[in-house]
Amino acid sequence: MKYMLVLLAIPALLLPAACLIYIVYQALPALDVDLIFGSDAVVIGVNSVGQALWSQISGSLLMMSLACLLAMPMAASIALFHAFWASHKQKKLLTSILQVLQGIPPIVYGLCGLVVLVHLLHWGISLAAGAVILSIIILPLLASNTIHALERIPLEQTESALSLGLSKVSVITRVWMPQAWPSFLTGLLLSMARALSETAPILFTATVFSGITWPDSIFSPVTSLQTHIFYLAQEGSNEQAIHTAWASAVVLLTLVLIFSLTALYLRRYERIS
Amino acid sequence: MNTAKQNSRCSIPQTSTLNQTMVNVENLSLQMGDKHILQHVSFDLPAADITSLIGPSGAGKSSLLRCMNMLNTDWTGHIQVQHTDIRHWHGGADILRKHIGLIAQKPAVFPVSIADNVLFGLSRSQQKENTSALLQHCLQQSALWDEVKDRLDQPANTLSIGQQQRLCLARALALKPSVLLLDEPTASLDPRSKQLIELSLHELAQNIPILCVTHDLDQAQRLQGNILFMCDGKIIETADCDSLFNHPQKLETREFLRWSVCDCD
Repeated sequence: MKYMLVLLAIPALLLPAACLIYIVYQALPALDVDLIFGSDAVVIGVNSVGQALWSQISGSLLMMSLACLLAMPMAASIALFHAFWASHKQKKLLTSILQVLQGIPPIVYGLCGLVVLVHLLHWGISLAAGAVILSIIILPLLASNTIHALERIPLEQTESALSLGLSKVSVITRVWMPQAWPSFLTGLLLSMARALSETAPILFTATVFSGITWPDSIFSPVTSLQTHIFYLAQEGSNEQAIHTAWASAVVLLTLVLIFSLTALYLRRYERIS
Repeated sequence: MNTAKQNSRCSIPQTSTLNQTMVNVENLSLQMGDKHILQHVSFDLPAADITSLIGPSGAGKSSLLRCMNMLNTDWTGHIQVQHTDIRHWHGGADILRKHIGLIAQKPAVFPVSIADNVLFGLSRSQQKENTSALLQHCLQQSALWDEVKDRLDQPANTLSIGQQQRLCLARALALKPSVLLLDEPTASLDPRSKQLIELSLHELAQNIPILCVTHDLDQAQRLQGNILFMCDGKIIETADCDSLFNHPQKLETREFLRWSVCDCD
Protein backbone atom coordinates (compact mmCIF):
# COMPACT_ATOMS: atom_id res chain seq x y z
CA MET A 1 0.00 0.00 0.00
CA LYS A 2 2.78 2.37 1.03
CA TYR A 3 4.78 1.70 -2.17
CA MET A 4 1.70 2.15 -4.31
CA LEU A 5 1.06 5.57 -2.76
CA VAL A 6 4.70 6.52 -3.29
CA LEU A 7 4.50 5.42 -6.93
CA LEU A 8 1.40 7.55 -7.41
CA ALA A 9 3.03 10.51 -5.72
CA ILE A 10 6.25 10.40 -7.75
CA PRO A 11 4.73 11.80 -11.00
CA ALA A 12 3.27 14.69 -9.03
CA LEU A 13 6.79 15.68 -8.02
CA LEU A 14 8.62 14.68 -11.17
CA LEU A 15 6.33 16.30 -13.74
CA PRO A 16 6.65 19.88 -12.44
CA ALA A 17 10.41 19.34 -12.02
CA ALA A 18 10.67 18.03 -15.59
CA CYS A 19 8.66 21.01 -16.87
CA LEU A 20 10.93 23.40 -15.00
CA ILE A 21 14.07 21.78 -16.41
CA TYR A 22 12.62 21.83 -19.93
CA ILE A 23 11.66 25.52 -19.64
CA VAL A 24 15.16 26.48 -18.47
CA TYR A 25 16.76 24.30 -21.20
CA GLN A 26 14.68 25.99 -23.91
CA ALA A 27 15.37 29.42 -22.45
CA LEU A 28 19.15 29.02 -22.23
CA PRO A 29 19.97 30.45 -25.69
CA ALA A 30 18.16 33.68 -24.83
CA LEU A 31 19.07 33.99 -21.15
CA ASP A 32 21.52 36.84 -20.65
CA VAL A 33 21.63 40.30 -19.07
CA ASP A 34 20.57 41.88 -22.36
CA LEU A 35 17.32 39.98 -22.12
CA ILE A 36 16.25 42.26 -19.30
CA PHE A 37 18.26 45.45 -19.67
CA GLY A 38 19.18 45.30 -23.36
CA SER A 39 18.01 47.53 -26.16
CA ASP A 40 14.35 47.39 -26.98
CA ALA A 41 15.14 48.17 -30.61
CA VAL A 42 15.64 44.55 -31.57
CA VAL A 43 12.53 43.45 -33.36
CA ILE A 44 11.35 39.88 -33.29
CA GLY A 45 8.73 38.51 -35.62
CA VAL A 46 5.93 40.22 -37.50
CA ASN A 47 4.45 41.81 -34.39
CA SER A 48 7.58 43.89 -33.75
CA VAL A 49 7.79 42.69 -30.19
CA GLY A 50 10.77 44.16 -28.40
CA GLN A 51 13.39 41.79 -27.01
CA ALA A 52 14.30 43.51 -23.71
CA LEU A 53 11.97 42.56 -20.91
CA TRP A 54 12.51 45.45 -18.51
CA SER A 55 9.34 47.32 -19.49
CA GLN A 56 7.31 44.09 -19.37
CA ILE A 57 8.67 43.23 -15.91
CA SER A 58 8.02 46.74 -14.59
CA GLY A 59 4.54 46.73 -16.18
CA SER A 60 3.68 43.42 -14.51
CA LEU A 61 5.01 44.56 -11.14
CA LEU A 62 3.22 47.90 -11.43
CA MET A 63 -0.11 46.27 -12.21
CA MET A 64 0.40 43.69 -9.45
CA SER A 65 1.27 46.38 -6.90
CA LEU A 66 -1.74 48.51 -7.82
CA ALA A 67 -4.01 45.46 -7.64
CA CYS A 68 -2.69 44.62 -4.17
CA LEU A 69 -3.06 48.22 -3.01
CA LEU A 70 -6.68 48.15 -4.12
CA ALA A 71 -7.41 44.71 -2.68
CA MET A 72 -5.69 45.18 0.71
CA PRO A 73 -8.13 47.64 2.32
CA MET A 74 -11.09 45.66 0.96
CA ALA A 75 -9.69 42.39 2.29
CA ALA A 76 -8.89 43.98 5.67
CA SER A 77 -12.44 45.39 5.88
CA ILE A 78 -13.98 42.01 5.07
CA ALA A 79 -11.79 40.29 7.68
CA LEU A 80 -12.55 42.88 10.37
CA PHE A 81 -16.29 42.69 9.64
CA HIS A 82 -15.99 38.90 9.89
CA ALA A 83 -14.10 39.12 13.19
CA PHE A 84 -16.04 41.84 15.01
CA TRP A 85 -19.54 42.26 13.67
CA ALA A 86 -20.69 39.32 11.58
CA SER A 87 -23.18 36.91 13.10
CA HIS A 88 -22.55 33.17 12.84
CA LYS A 89 -24.81 32.96 9.77
CA GLN A 90 -23.13 35.95 8.14
CA LYS A 91 -19.71 34.40 8.76
CA LYS A 92 -20.75 31.17 7.05
CA LEU A 93 -22.27 33.10 4.14
CA LEU A 94 -19.17 35.28 3.77
CA THR A 95 -16.85 32.27 3.78
CA SER A 96 -19.01 30.52 1.16
CA ILE A 97 -19.06 33.62 -1.07
CA LEU A 98 -15.27 33.92 -0.88
CA GLN A 99 -14.89 30.25 -1.81
CA VAL A 100 -17.24 30.63 -4.77
CA LEU A 101 -15.44 33.77 -5.94
CA GLN A 102 -12.12 31.93 -5.85
CA GLY A 103 -13.56 29.30 -8.15
CA ILE A 104 -14.65 31.69 -10.91
CA PRO A 105 -12.35 31.41 -13.96
CA PRO A 106 -10.24 34.58 -14.37
CA ILE A 107 -11.26 34.93 -18.02
CA VAL A 108 -14.82 35.63 -16.82
CA TYR A 109 -13.52 38.50 -14.71
CA GLY A 110 -11.59 39.69 -17.75
CA LEU A 111 -14.75 39.64 -19.85
CA CYS A 112 -16.62 41.64 -17.19
CA GLY A 113 -13.73 44.10 -17.07
CA LEU A 114 -13.82 44.48 -20.85
CA VAL A 115 -17.55 45.19 -20.88
CA VAL A 116 -17.83 47.35 -17.76
CA LEU A 117 -14.48 49.11 -17.33
CA VAL A 118 -13.12 49.29 -20.87
CA HIS A 119 -16.33 49.95 -22.80
CA LEU A 120 -19.06 51.08 -20.40
CA LEU A 121 -16.92 53.38 -18.23
CA HIS A 122 -14.70 54.31 -21.21
CA TRP A 123 -11.47 53.57 -19.32
CA GLY A 124 -10.12 51.90 -22.45
CA ILE A 125 -7.41 49.25 -22.42
CA SER A 126 -5.58 50.60 -19.41
CA LEU A 127 -3.47 49.99 -16.34
CA ALA A 128 -6.45 51.01 -14.18
CA ALA A 129 -8.77 48.45 -15.78
CA GLY A 130 -6.16 45.68 -15.42
CA ALA A 131 -5.37 46.58 -11.81
CA VAL A 132 -9.05 46.68 -10.81
CA ILE A 133 -9.74 43.31 -12.44
CA LEU A 134 -6.66 41.75 -10.85
CA SER A 135 -7.62 43.18 -7.46
CA ILE A 136 -11.06 41.56 -7.76
CA ILE A 137 -9.41 38.25 -8.68
CA ILE A 138 -7.01 38.26 -5.71
CA LEU A 139 -9.52 39.72 -3.24
CA PRO A 140 -11.07 36.36 -2.17
CA LEU A 141 -7.64 34.82 -1.61
CA LEU A 142 -6.36 37.82 0.33
CA ALA A 143 -9.57 38.17 2.37
CA SER A 144 -9.60 34.44 3.25
CA ASN A 145 -5.97 34.60 4.34
CA THR A 146 -6.63 37.69 6.47
CA ILE A 147 -9.66 36.03 8.07
CA HIS A 148 -7.57 32.94 8.88
CA ALA A 149 -4.75 35.13 10.21
CA LEU A 150 -7.16 36.80 12.65
CA GLU A 151 -8.83 33.53 13.58
CA ARG A 152 -5.48 32.13 14.69
CA ILE A 153 -5.26 34.73 17.45
CA PRO A 154 -6.65 33.16 20.63
CA LEU A 155 -10.14 34.44 21.45
CA GLU A 156 -9.07 34.76 25.08
CA GLN A 157 -6.54 37.44 24.16
CA THR A 158 -9.11 39.47 22.26
CA GLU A 159 -11.61 39.22 25.11
CA SER A 160 -8.93 40.04 27.69
CA ALA A 161 -7.98 43.14 25.73
CA LEU A 162 -11.62 44.20 25.46
CA SER A 163 -12.08 43.51 29.17
CA LEU A 164 -9.24 45.93 29.87
CA GLY A 165 -11.27 48.65 28.17
CA LEU A 166 -9.31 48.71 24.94
CA SER A 167 -11.29 50.03 21.99
CA LYS A 168 -11.72 47.87 18.91
CA VAL A 169 -9.09 49.98 17.11
CA SER A 170 -6.64 49.41 19.98
CA VAL A 171 -7.36 45.68 19.93
CA ILE A 172 -6.56 45.65 16.20
CA THR A 173 -3.36 47.68 16.50
CA ARG A 174 -2.02 46.37 19.82
CA VAL A 175 -3.17 42.76 19.92
CA TRP A 176 -4.07 41.58 16.44
CA MET A 177 -1.54 43.30 14.17
CA PRO A 178 1.60 42.33 16.13
CA GLN A 179 0.51 38.70 15.99
CA ALA A 180 -1.21 38.51 12.62
CA TRP A 181 1.34 40.32 10.45
CA PRO A 182 3.31 37.23 9.35
CA SER A 183 0.10 35.49 8.24
CA PHE A 184 -1.19 38.65 6.59
CA LEU A 185 2.10 39.20 4.77
CA THR A 186 2.14 35.55 3.68
CA GLY A 187 -1.34 35.98 2.22
CA LEU A 188 -0.31 39.20 0.53
CA LEU A 189 2.75 37.60 -1.08
CA LEU A 190 0.70 34.64 -2.30
CA SER A 191 -1.84 37.10 -3.73
CA MET A 192 1.00 38.97 -5.44
CA ALA A 193 2.20 35.71 -6.96
CA ARG A 194 -1.35 35.00 -8.12
CA ALA A 195 -1.70 38.49 -9.65
CA LEU A 196 1.62 38.06 -11.38
CA SER A 197 0.63 34.76 -12.93
CA GLU A 198 -2.76 35.85 -14.29
CA THR A 199 -2.77 36.42 -18.04
CA ALA A 200 -6.27 36.03 -19.45
CA PRO A 201 -8.00 38.87 -17.57
CA ILE A 202 -5.39 41.47 -18.47
CA LEU A 203 -5.05 40.30 -22.05
CA PHE A 204 -8.01 42.36 -23.19
CA THR A 205 -8.30 44.94 -20.41
CA ALA A 206 -4.79 46.29 -19.81
CA THR A 207 -2.01 45.19 -22.13
CA VAL A 208 -0.84 45.88 -25.66
CA PHE A 209 1.69 44.18 -27.95
CA SER A 210 4.43 46.77 -27.85
CA GLY A 211 5.28 50.45 -28.15
CA ILE A 212 4.84 51.09 -24.43
CA THR A 213 7.76 51.19 -22.02
CA TRP A 214 6.01 52.92 -19.12
CA PRO A 215 2.36 54.03 -19.03
CA ASP A 216 1.77 57.81 -19.19
CA SER A 217 -1.15 57.58 -16.76
CA ILE A 218 -3.29 54.94 -15.09
CA PHE A 219 -5.59 55.15 -18.11
CA SER A 220 -2.80 54.22 -20.52
CA PRO A 221 -2.15 50.63 -21.60
CA VAL A 222 0.84 48.70 -20.26
CA THR A 223 2.96 45.80 -21.40
CA SER A 224 3.28 42.81 -19.12
CA LEU A 225 5.47 39.74 -18.92
CA GLN A 226 2.54 37.33 -19.01
CA THR A 227 1.00 38.69 -22.18
CA HIS A 228 4.47 39.17 -23.70
CA ILE A 229 4.98 35.40 -23.52
CA PHE A 230 1.60 34.91 -25.18
CA TYR A 231 2.49 37.23 -28.08
CA LEU A 232 5.95 35.69 -28.53
CA ALA A 233 4.51 32.19 -28.53
CA GLN A 234 2.36 33.17 -31.53
CA GLU A 235 5.59 33.68 -33.50
CA GLY A 236 5.78 29.92 -33.97
CA SER A 237 8.21 29.95 -36.89
CA ASN A 238 10.64 32.43 -35.39
CA GLU A 239 13.22 30.53 -33.34
CA GLN A 240 14.52 33.65 -31.59
CA ALA A 241 11.01 34.62 -30.54
CA ILE A 242 10.37 31.17 -29.12
CA HIS A 243 13.61 31.18 -27.13
CA THR A 244 12.76 34.66 -25.82
CA ALA A 245 9.32 33.37 -24.84
CA TRP A 246 10.93 30.58 -22.83
CA ALA A 247 13.36 33.03 -21.26
CA SER A 248 10.46 35.34 -20.38
CA ALA A 249 8.76 32.36 -18.78
CA VAL A 250 11.86 31.75 -16.66
CA VAL A 251 11.86 35.39 -15.54
CA LEU A 252 8.16 35.20 -14.69
CA LEU A 253 8.63 31.94 -12.82
CA THR A 254 11.51 33.47 -10.88
CA LEU A 255 9.37 36.44 -9.85
CA VAL A 256 6.48 34.20 -8.80
CA LEU A 257 8.88 31.93 -6.90
CA ILE A 258 10.43 34.89 -5.07
CA PHE A 259 7.01 35.85 -3.71
CA SER A 260 5.97 32.26 -2.97
CA LEU A 261 9.23 31.31 -1.25
CA THR A 262 9.22 34.51 0.81
CA ALA A 263 5.68 33.59 1.87
CA LEU A 264 6.91 30.13 2.79
CA TYR A 265 9.76 31.65 4.83
CA LEU A 266 7.33 33.91 6.70
CA ARG A 267 5.31 30.86 7.77
CA ARG A 268 8.14 30.25 10.29
CA TYR A 269 7.14 33.42 12.11
CA GLU A 270 3.49 32.33 12.09
CA ARG A 271 4.46 29.19 13.98
CA ILE A 272 6.76 31.10 16.34
CA SER A 273 4.16 33.73 17.18
CA MET B 1 -20.50 17.24 51.74
CA ASN B 2 -19.41 17.14 55.33
CA THR B 3 -21.47 19.63 57.39
CA ALA B 4 -19.05 19.70 60.28
CA LYS B 5 -16.27 20.54 57.87
CA GLN B 6 -18.40 23.29 56.41
CA ASN B 7 -19.09 24.75 59.83
CA SER B 8 -15.44 25.05 60.53
CA ARG B 9 -14.79 26.91 57.32
CA CYS B 10 -17.70 29.30 57.02
CA SER B 11 -17.43 32.48 58.92
CA ILE B 12 -19.99 34.94 60.12
CA PRO B 13 -20.73 37.40 57.27
CA GLN B 14 -18.51 40.42 57.47
CA THR B 15 -19.97 43.75 58.37
CA SER B 16 -18.98 44.96 54.91
CA THR B 17 -21.91 43.01 53.47
CA LEU B 18 -24.09 45.61 55.12
CA ASN B 19 -22.37 48.36 53.18
CA GLN B 20 -24.17 50.29 50.53
CA THR B 21 -24.81 48.66 47.17
CA MET B 22 -22.14 49.04 44.51
CA VAL B 23 -23.73 46.89 41.80
CA ASN B 24 -27.41 46.36 41.30
CA VAL B 25 -28.64 43.76 38.82
CA GLU B 26 -32.36 43.75 38.22
CA ASN B 27 -34.49 41.49 36.09
CA LEU B 28 -31.58 40.56 33.83
CA SER B 29 -32.50 38.19 31.01
CA LEU B 30 -30.46 36.89 28.12
CA GLN B 31 -31.63 34.79 25.23
CA MET B 32 -29.45 33.25 22.53
CA GLY B 33 -31.52 31.83 19.72
CA ASP B 34 -34.27 29.83 21.38
CA LYS B 35 -32.26 29.23 24.53
CA HIS B 36 -32.86 31.28 27.67
CA ILE B 37 -29.39 31.75 29.16
CA LEU B 38 -30.43 34.10 31.97
CA GLN B 39 -33.96 34.53 33.29
CA HIS B 40 -34.95 37.50 35.43
CA VAL B 41 -31.74 37.53 37.44
CA SER B 42 -31.67 40.08 40.26
CA PHE B 43 -29.08 40.63 42.98
CA ASP B 44 -26.95 43.31 44.60
CA LEU B 45 -23.24 43.45 45.30
CA PRO B 46 -22.14 45.36 48.38
CA ALA B 47 -19.46 48.04 48.14
CA ALA B 48 -16.76 45.73 49.46
CA ASP B 49 -16.90 41.98 49.91
CA ILE B 50 -16.57 38.73 48.04
CA THR B 51 -19.65 37.18 46.52
CA SER B 52 -19.24 33.68 45.17
CA LEU B 53 -21.41 32.58 42.29
CA ILE B 54 -21.90 28.83 42.33
CA GLY B 55 -23.96 26.49 40.21
CA PRO B 56 -23.72 23.60 37.77
CA SER B 57 -22.15 23.89 34.33
CA GLY B 58 -24.42 25.70 31.89
CA ALA B 59 -26.20 27.62 34.64
CA GLY B 60 -25.32 30.94 32.98
CA LYS B 61 -22.66 32.07 35.46
CA SER B 62 -20.06 33.10 32.86
CA SER B 63 -22.75 34.70 30.69
CA LEU B 64 -23.81 36.78 33.67
CA LEU B 65 -20.27 38.12 34.09
CA ARG B 66 -20.03 38.87 30.36
CA CYS B 67 -23.27 40.84 30.55
CA MET B 68 -21.99 42.80 33.53
CA ASN B 69 -19.01 44.18 31.65
CA MET B 70 -20.84 44.49 28.33
CA LEU B 71 -18.90 41.83 26.47
CA ASN B 72 -22.39 40.53 25.87
CA THR B 73 -24.86 43.27 25.00
CA ASP B 74 -27.99 41.38 23.95
CA TRP B 75 -29.50 41.26 27.43
CA THR B 76 -32.61 42.94 28.78
CA GLY B 77 -33.13 44.34 32.27
CA HIS B 78 -31.01 46.74 34.29
CA ILE B 79 -27.46 46.63 35.56
CA GLN B 80 -26.36 49.58 37.64
CA VAL B 81 -22.85 50.27 38.86
CA GLN B 82 -22.57 53.11 41.37
CA HIS B 83 -26.22 53.92 40.58
CA THR B 84 -25.47 54.42 36.87
CA ASP B 85 -27.05 52.21 34.26
CA ILE B 86 -24.14 50.56 32.43
CA ARG B 87 -25.89 50.97 29.09
CA HIS B 88 -25.61 54.73 29.57
CA TRP B 89 -22.12 54.72 31.04
CA HIS B 90 -20.26 57.96 30.33
CA GLY B 91 -17.73 57.18 27.60
CA GLY B 92 -19.36 53.92 26.54
CA ALA B 93 -18.57 50.26 27.06
CA ASP B 94 -14.79 50.64 26.69
CA ILE B 95 -14.61 53.05 29.63
CA LEU B 96 -17.05 50.90 31.62
CA ARG B 97 -14.76 47.89 31.25
CA LYS B 98 -11.91 49.82 32.85
CA HIS B 99 -14.16 50.10 35.94
CA ILE B 100 -15.31 46.51 35.86
CA GLY B 101 -12.33 44.18 35.73
CA LEU B 102 -13.03 40.73 34.31
CA ILE B 103 -10.60 37.86 34.73
CA ALA B 104 -11.27 34.82 32.63
CA GLN B 105 -10.84 31.17 33.53
CA LYS B 106 -7.97 30.66 31.09
CA PRO B 107 -5.16 33.16 31.62
CA ALA B 108 -4.46 35.13 28.45
CA VAL B 109 -1.18 37.01 28.53
CA PHE B 110 -0.10 39.16 25.61
CA PRO B 111 3.17 38.39 23.79
CA VAL B 112 5.02 41.23 25.50
CA SER B 113 7.05 41.51 28.70
CA ILE B 114 5.69 40.89 32.19
CA ALA B 115 5.81 44.62 32.96
CA ASP B 116 4.10 45.58 29.70
CA ASN B 117 1.38 43.04 30.38
CA VAL B 118 0.56 44.65 33.71
CA LEU B 119 0.39 48.08 32.09
CA PHE B 120 -1.40 46.87 28.95
CA GLY B 121 -4.76 48.43 29.79
CA LEU B 122 -3.38 51.86 30.56
CA SER B 123 -3.58 54.63 27.98
CA ARG B 124 -0.41 55.64 26.15
CA SER B 125 -0.12 58.84 28.21
CA GLN B 126 -0.50 56.84 31.45
CA GLN B 127 2.18 54.41 30.29
CA LYS B 128 4.61 57.27 29.67
CA GLU B 129 4.37 58.34 33.32
CA ASN B 130 6.49 56.72 36.00
CA THR B 131 4.73 53.42 36.39
CA SER B 132 7.23 51.48 38.50
CA ALA B 133 5.32 52.13 41.75
CA LEU B 134 2.03 51.08 40.18
CA LEU B 135 3.69 48.01 38.68
CA GLN B 136 5.09 46.93 42.03
CA HIS B 137 1.84 47.64 43.87
CA CYS B 138 -0.30 45.62 41.45
CA LEU B 139 2.12 42.69 41.38
CA GLN B 140 2.23 42.71 45.18
CA GLN B 141 -1.55 42.77 45.36
CA SER B 142 -1.68 39.71 43.14
CA ALA B 143 1.09 37.97 45.16
CA LEU B 144 3.44 37.82 42.17
CA TRP B 145 5.99 40.52 42.94
CA ASP B 146 8.50 38.32 44.75
CA GLU B 147 8.54 35.83 41.90
CA VAL B 148 8.99 38.27 39.02
CA LYS B 149 10.65 41.38 40.43
CA ASP B 150 14.01 40.43 38.89
CA ARG B 151 12.67 39.56 35.46
CA LEU B 152 10.04 42.13 34.62
CA ASP B 153 11.44 42.52 31.09
CA GLN B 154 11.11 38.85 30.27
CA PRO B 155 8.24 37.62 28.06
CA ALA B 156 5.09 36.93 30.02
CA ASN B 157 4.58 33.56 28.37
CA THR B 158 7.65 32.24 30.22
CA LEU B 159 5.58 32.27 33.43
CA SER B 160 3.72 29.21 34.67
CA ILE B 161 -0.06 29.06 34.20
CA GLY B 162 -0.62 29.93 37.86
CA GLN B 163 1.73 32.91 37.57
CA GLN B 164 0.05 33.98 34.34
CA GLN B 165 -3.32 33.99 36.08
CA ARG B 166 -1.92 36.19 38.86
CA LEU B 167 -0.43 38.42 36.16
CA CYS B 168 -3.92 38.77 34.66
CA LEU B 169 -5.16 39.78 38.11
CA ALA B 170 -2.38 42.38 38.40
CA ARG B 171 -3.24 43.65 34.91
CA ALA B 172 -6.86 44.15 35.88
CA LEU B 173 -5.86 45.83 39.16
CA ALA B 174 -3.60 48.31 37.34
CA LEU B 175 -6.77 49.97 36.06
CA LYS B 176 -8.02 50.44 39.65
CA PRO B 177 -11.40 48.84 38.95
CA SER B 178 -14.50 49.61 40.99
CA VAL B 179 -15.69 46.02 40.68
CA LEU B 180 -13.81 42.80 40.03
CA LEU B 181 -15.43 39.86 38.24
CA LEU B 182 -13.63 36.52 38.20
CA ASP B 183 -14.66 33.56 36.10
CA GLU B 184 -13.28 30.46 37.81
CA PRO B 185 -9.90 32.12 38.29
CA THR B 186 -8.26 29.12 39.94
CA ALA B 187 -9.64 26.33 37.78
CA SER B 188 -6.78 24.06 36.71
CA LEU B 189 -4.26 25.86 38.90
CA ASP B 190 -1.91 24.18 41.34
CA PRO B 191 -2.86 24.35 45.06
CA ARG B 192 -0.19 26.96 45.86
CA SER B 193 -1.31 29.34 43.08
CA LYS B 194 -4.90 28.76 44.17
CA GLN B 195 -4.05 29.67 47.74
CA LEU B 196 -2.12 32.79 46.70
CA ILE B 197 -4.99 34.02 44.53
CA GLU B 198 -7.51 33.42 47.31
CA LEU B 199 -5.32 35.38 49.73
CA SER B 200 -5.12 38.24 47.23
CA LEU B 201 -8.89 38.22 46.80
CA HIS B 202 -9.41 38.45 50.55
CA GLU B 203 -7.14 41.50 50.66
CA LEU B 204 -8.82 43.13 47.68
CA ALA B 205 -12.32 42.46 48.99
CA GLN B 206 -11.70 44.90 51.80
CA ASN B 207 -11.92 47.73 49.29
CA ILE B 208 -13.88 46.59 46.26
CA PRO B 209 -16.74 44.21 45.53
CA ILE B 210 -15.67 40.92 43.99
CA LEU B 211 -17.95 38.52 42.20
CA CYS B 212 -16.23 35.19 41.78
CA VAL B 213 -17.64 32.31 39.75
CA THR B 214 -16.45 29.00 41.11
CA HIS B 215 -17.25 25.34 40.69
CA ASP B 216 -15.23 24.52 43.76
CA LEU B 217 -17.60 24.56 46.75
CA ASP B 218 -14.68 24.32 49.18
CA GLN B 219 -13.25 27.43 47.62
CA ALA B 220 -16.58 29.24 47.93
CA GLN B 221 -16.46 28.48 51.65
CA ARG B 222 -12.87 29.60 51.96
CA LEU B 223 -13.70 32.87 50.20
CA GLN B 224 -16.54 33.44 52.73
CA GLY B 225 -18.79 36.44 52.02
CA ASN B 226 -22.07 35.91 50.23
CA ILE B 227 -23.11 33.09 47.96
CA LEU B 228 -25.35 33.25 44.91
CA PHE B 229 -26.58 29.88 43.75
CA MET B 230 -27.58 29.80 40.09
CA CYS B 231 -29.20 27.06 38.08
CA ASP B 232 -30.65 27.06 34.58
CA GLY B 233 -30.22 30.81 34.18
CA LYS B 234 -32.01 31.68 37.44
CA ILE B 235 -30.83 32.74 40.87
CA ILE B 236 -32.16 29.98 43.10
CA GLU B 237 -30.88 31.12 46.47
CA THR B 238 -28.85 33.96 47.91
CA ALA B 239 -27.42 33.84 51.39
CA ASP B 240 -24.27 34.35 53.40
CA CYS B 241 -21.76 31.54 53.34
CA ASP B 242 -22.82 30.06 56.70
CA SER B 243 -26.53 30.00 55.99
CA LEU B 244 -26.29 28.64 52.47
CA PHE B 245 -23.93 25.80 53.24
CA ASN B 246 -25.41 24.85 56.61
CA HIS B 247 -29.08 25.71 56.22
CA PRO B 248 -29.96 25.79 52.53
CA GLN B 249 -33.56 26.84 52.10
CA LYS B 250 -34.29 25.49 48.63
CA LEU B 251 -34.46 21.87 47.57
CA GLU B 252 -32.34 22.61 44.48
CA THR B 253 -29.60 24.09 46.64
CA ARG B 254 -29.62 21.07 48.93
CA GLU B 255 -29.39 18.77 45.91
CA PHE B 256 -26.53 20.74 44.43
CA LEU B 257 -24.57 20.88 47.68
CA ARG B 258 -25.02 17.17 48.21
CA TRP B 259 -24.61 15.75 44.70
CA SER B 260 -23.33 18.71 42.65
CA VAL B 261 -26.31 18.40 40.35
CA CYS B 262 -29.36 20.55 39.99
CA ASP B 263 -32.69 19.83 38.35
CA CYS B 264 -34.67 23.03 38.42
CA ASP B 265 -36.78 22.60 35.24
